[in-house]
Amino acid sequence: MHHLLDILASGVHDAKNQLFVAESIIAALEAEHGIAMGEARYAIEAAAGRLSRTLAAYQVLRKDAAPAITPVIVGDLCDEVVMAQQRHLAVANIALTSDCQVIDEWLLDRDLVTDMLNNAIQNAGRYARSKVHLQATVDDGWLLIRIEDDGTGFPTLPPPYGTGLMVAHRLAALHVRKGRTGSLQLSNDASLGGACFELRLP
Amino acid sequence: MSDYSKKRFLVIDDQPQARDALRTVAQTIGAFSVEFGSNYQDAIYRIRNNSPDIILCDYMLGDGRSGQQLLEELRRFNLLPDETIFMMVTGEQSYEQVVSAVELVPDDYIIKPFSPDKLVMRLDRIMAKKNFFAAYYREKRKQEFANALAILEAQRNSEAGRPYRFEILRQQAEVLLKSGDAQAAEQAYRNILEDYEFPWARAGVARSLHRQNRLTEARQEIDQVVASTPHFFDASDLKANICMAQGEHAEAQQILDEIAKKTPRNYLRKRLLAEAATLNGDIETARAAMADIITNDTMPGAIAAKDRLAMARSHVDAKDKISGEKVLVTLRDTEIQNMSLDEQASYSALLALCSPERGKARFAGLRPALLATELDPTTRIDVLRAALSVGDHELADRHADVLMSGSDAKKVFGALRSQYALYGREMDFRNIQKQVALRRIHQDGAATPAAQS
Repeated sequence: MHHLLDILASGVHDAKNQLFVAESIIAALEAEHGIAMGEARYAIEAAAGRLSRTLAAYQVLRKDAAPAITPVIVGDLCDEVVMAQQRHLAVANIALTSDCQVIDEWLLDRDLVTDMLNNAIQNAGRYARSKVHLQATVDDGWLLIRIEDDGTGFPTLPPPYGTGLMVAHRLAALHVRKGRTGSLQLSNDASLGGACFELRLP
Repeated sequence: MSDYSKKRFLVIDDQPQARDALRTVAQTIGAFSVEFGSNYQDAIYRIRNNSPDIILCDYMLGDGRSGQQLLEELRRFNLLPDETIFMMVTGEQSYEQVVSAVELVPDDYIIKPFSPDKLVMRLDRIMAKKNFFAAYYREKRKQEFANALAILEAQRNSEAGRPYRFEILRQQAEVLLKSGDAQAAEQAYRNILEDYEFPWARAGVARSLHRQNRLTEARQEIDQVVASTPHFFDASDLKANICMAQGEHAEAQQILDEIAKKTPRNYLRKRLLAEAATLNGDIETARAAMADIITNDTMPGAIAAKDRLAMARSHVDAKDKISGEKVLVTLRDTEIQNMSLDEQASYSALLALCSPERGKARFAGLRPALLATELDPTTRIDVLRAALSVGDHELADRHADVLMSGSDAKKVFGALRSQYALYGREMDFRNIQKQVALRRIHQDGAATPAAQS
């Protein structure tokens, strides 16, 4: 098992290195010629993200999966997700807004959570009419991150339980602290009228 | 956004294409001066000569080395001021596992591919954090630990400190340990653990207990860390050190043998392996490890007199006095004069053992100093061995007595006993042990009423 993981990880690693070379060349051209190639860079990062997620899915489904917990400034995390997605959504005339009310650090797996939020925003963007909103608050000692859109919401609840969703639930549940376990909830309770993705971390 | 045009960047990567990509990104965010480090050695050389402001270092450096090893070595040799930004660049998601576990971490890490914007965002944040801690860094560098702790304490309770709470707690614990207050450091690490079971904090508890010579407890704590995070190699080093202090040399060697295989070019670890193997009586492993270090540790200035003495010592252990003598005579007079007192004492003792005609007179000349001075345990054993070999009972017994009374008693017991046995003085050694034990009982008896009052 470990051997297979090593092979996969090394393949993903090499691919991401190549993608980085491509992205840096595009960034240099943008700077040199004053042209905007944001969508090309977005596609490269999305491909890398997809590779990472596949590897993470494989890891998370193993019994010994362990999160890498570090203190993370929640506002920084939200800013990065917004930076990664905002311009791309704007191309489709969807406005991504955010509201982070958490000042303190939170203990979480930064890469896993970032990836999950990026993915959730991409999904929301697919169904939104014009708005996606990211919000972070603290509620009774839990970190609550919500992503809402103004689309038509999930046609059925709970939504069909595919691999992606299973992995997301597992990722949330890997966050355990002081007897509390993280969770993920999908609903149509968005104040914007559409779907709502809610991640709760202890 | 900060102005990056005046910052000196150092990009470290063994792959030319990846290096170019990193340079391109740095230039895109305004960097003017971007130097390259093409490998581990080159990077250290550049950092030594002209310390950069911002280091972008790839995690995979080739040749069996990693960016993490570079970072650890830079920190240990004090080549990386707190003000310098060290950013690890990696395509490996697994690096996050390392960062969440270990004690020595970079300022941040960033996963490839990333945009120039994202790098700027990360660097800006690190700059803000370094500004926040600037006054603390200054006091820490001057070793004004009380001032440094006072600054951290004030920051911990400040509104501006809220986003950095864990970093403040971590720094507090580290400074307490560095300042010698192991008990307070232990408590600081335990407070952090109440929030979350961080492997680095648990290792901090073990380190603090080790300093207090509470070995059984230290061992329990570090066992937990090693079992749960086998990739946290420093924890294994610490465990090996604790094992040695407990006199469990075989276990120490086994641990180090195993991780040294995974990090073949970590020569600090190899030194530790040589020490454990020596204590364990595995002379050949110790000899091979020391020879490897002296030949291959090419970090500038890394091979110290201490290493040559260790090499000579392992030849002496192997009863190969000729090789031992050869090592010792390569040391030049100026090197010997620049040695610390401990090293000079070891040098003269080892030379007396390897070549009595060459070394005996020098050793005898130092005798008054060797009787009167405090020496470190390794040196004391050297002196004791040389004293036994020339029949100087008084000198040998004095050092045996001091060693057996100190916190290293368990560590050195086996070595001492076999040395005395070598000269047919087992009974004398047993008597020394007895006297030390009696004195301890007497002291404990005297100390108890005072402790109660």
